[in-house]
Amino acid sequence: MNLNPMEQFAVKPLAGLDKPLFEIAGHPIYFTNQALLMVIVVAVSSLFLTLAVKPNRLVPTRGQSMAEMSYEFVAGMIHSATGEDGLKFFPFVFTLFIFVLCCNFFGMVPGSFTVTSQIAVTFALASFVILMVIVTGFMKHGIGFLKLFVPHAPWYLLILLVPIELISFFTRPISLSVRLFANMLAGHTMLAVFGGFVVALGTAGGVLSALSIAPMLLIVAIMLLELLVAFLQAYVFAILTCIYLNEALHLHDHH
Amino acid sequence: MVRPPSTRREGWFCAVFWDFWETVLTAPDPDRLSDLGKRLDELQTRQADRTRRPPPSQSSIAFRFATELVAALIVGGGLGWGIDWLFGHFGFHTRPAFMIVFFMLGAAAGIRNVMRAAKEINAEIAEKRSDKETGS
Repeated sequence: MNLNPMEQFAVKPLAGLDKPLFEIAGHPIYFTNQALLMVIVVAVSSLFLTLAVKPNRLVPTRGQSMAEMSYEFVAGMIHSATGEDGLKFFPFVFTLFIFVLCCNFFGMVPGSFTVTSQIAVTFALASFVILMVIVTGFMKHGIGFLKLFVPHAPWYLLILLVPIELISFFTRPISLSVRLFANMLAGHTMLAVFGGFVVALGTAGGVLSALSIAPMLLIVAIMLLELLVAFLQAYVFAILTCIYLNEALHLHDHH
Repeated sequence: MVRPPSTRREGWFCAVFWDFWETVLTAPDPDRLSDLGKRLDELQTRQADRTRRPPPSQSSIAFRFATELVAALIVGGGLGWGIDWLFGHFGFHTRPAFMIVFFMLGAAAGIRNVMRAAKEINAEIAEKRSDKETGS
């Protein structure tokens, strides 16, 4: 049995699919376990959300009320963070939120794979967010969007402050992606480490075998905590997207 | 007003009885109807409270500050390194001057980020506290 806690994060081609699907500029593209999980997440979440609202009853079924609740949750979040005109980004933020949430939750299923524990995935998502912010800013304000990087200060300080603001802006995709990735990675590593304790104690024999119940109980507690973290991180990702979009939409208005 | 789902199948008597019960005995009370609006509003605000942001925990705040700081350092250092590399490409050997300067700027940006994050979190906590005091 493999007790390496990092083993679960290995991206590898699916069994029987170890030949590359195609090549892009000489790089072989495989259908990996990560790709499979993403396909499952996208398929399940879009199927659920479309089928759940199909009955469209006044008194909702359980599924419909779940779909409606997630809709209202995200709509309320966007409204409180960006105001009325932010709501046109609802599809974008809702898709991001549901994708990250489902990836986190599907990763909690034992034996599956946590897509969001890969920095490549989270950084790609965060890059989309920042691209969206930049495009929105330039579309709304034109060249005036660059005022975002010019705080109110005398000109001699601006020489110093503008690069700082620029760097601070470009930290966003990194802090956004690292936060999600590190939380998922840490949680799942912790679960695997405690799982390793259970096996190691259980096979030790004698009194120690009986003791293996302790880490097992801890795993249950950590699992609950991880469910909370899975939701919370998806939420944080979405709310920060809203906050960044708000800045692009309204520049410095809020001061 | 809740009709057991099986009454229809139990013959005409039950059906008539239930119709009588519904139309005559439990006809909507106008007071209750006007009350319904109030109760719905109440439920809605309660729902809104429940879907409000979860409170930021201590560890998540600490983690947020740490990532903001470190990410800014990485971006700053990386930008400086890139500029050095670019200049080196054109034959100016500036390494590591720009990297040092931009690393420091990155540190400043990191502190700026942390201050901004702290402001956001403070506002969030203040908002929550004022909600609790008004007792909505």
